[in-house]
Amino acid sequence: MTESKPKKVLKTPAGRAYYLYCIGEQEALASVYGNEMPPPIEPDTEFVLIDGGAGLSAVTSVVPLADYGEEALQSRVTDATWLAVRAMRHERVVEHFSRQASVVPLRFGTIYLERENVELMMGEIHDELLAIIERLRGREEWGLNVYSDRAKLTEAIVSLSPRLRELSEQAARVSPGQSYLLRKKIDSMREAEARAETRRVAAAIEQELLSAAATAAARLRVLKDEGGEQGEVAAKLAFLVQRDRFLEFRAAAERLAEAHEGAGFRLELTGPWPAYNFAAGGK
Amino acid sequence: MADEDLEQLLDEESELSLLETLDHVLNRGLVIAGEITIAVADIDLIFLGLNVLVSSVETAHEVLKERQQIQSPKSEV
Repeated sequence: MTESKPKKVLKTPAGRAYYLYCIGEQEALASVYGNEMPPPIEPDTEFVLIDGGAGLSAVTSVVPLADYGEEALQSRVTDATWLAVRAMRHERVVEHFSRQASVVPLRFGTIYLERENVELMMGEIHDELLAIIERLRGREEWGLNVYSDRAKLTEAIVSLSPRLRELSEQAARVSPGQSYLLRKKIDSMREAEARAETRRVAAAIEQELLSAAATAAARLRVLKDEGGEQGEVAAKLAFLVQRDRFLEFRAAAERLAEAHEGAGFRLELTGPWPAYNFAAGGK
Repeated sequence: MADEDLEQLLDEESELSLLETLDHVLNRGLVIAGEITIAVADIDLIFLGLNVLVSSVETAHEVLKERQQIQSPKSEV
């Protein structure tokens, strides 16, 4: 190897770091720990429970900086296969704990170079962590995907909108040149109305599920339109649902799915997930 | 090597559930789970930039979709 010009070296002497999965109450974690655990994110390494003081622990495992150092990781994650495999391992570990204990789930890529820094972090935001653990107790996250069949929806919209009907009739009467322009205008109006209708339906579904199932909170995650086998993703919603009210929640979702089917919407429930979308501090 | 890992994963999980998992674990939503740790980011924390992750997820989606199209669809569990 030739000596290249020294780049700025990260302060990573030991060659390893701590990868965090979740934070929870020491006792609860300890009772779940070790019992049919899925492998850590790098299977040949070991889990380490780090004591954060005042009854809190973090579930971590040791990872090599050759892959998880800041720069290494930035390039590793551009390899979709590498990332998918790690993301799935991460998920299984977090699920293992979140199914049996109230934990603050962390997402992929929370890495500390020093054990003391994990302890320091937990000490610093100790109250916040406890509040989140309390808020998540007995609850789990469910995702609701709303797909729309744009063709079906657009059809429905034309028959609903008098203005669009009027324009269509007009387009049939005028000269070809004028007709072309009118049709372009009609198309863009239909698109806009379809988007508005989609937003309205997603908001209605969110409201209905929140009240019907007495859930604690919901987060609306609207992704950019994605085509797929199931139609376009109109919205992705996340709900924090009390475990013992899940059947109610599901029944409400099923009712909504039926109600909106005719207009070209399809609902899909996914979960239970660790409460990733509800793990941030604050409200 | 990583491909074998992926094959094994896909034996266990459908592509769809893998994509859902990516969405959750890698955070494409509005809420940044890293908030908790970002708040104390000065203590030597490595946290991936959201942009890097978002583009990685896009790539993963594309790769998995291509696979879906190439392979004849297996029946789901």
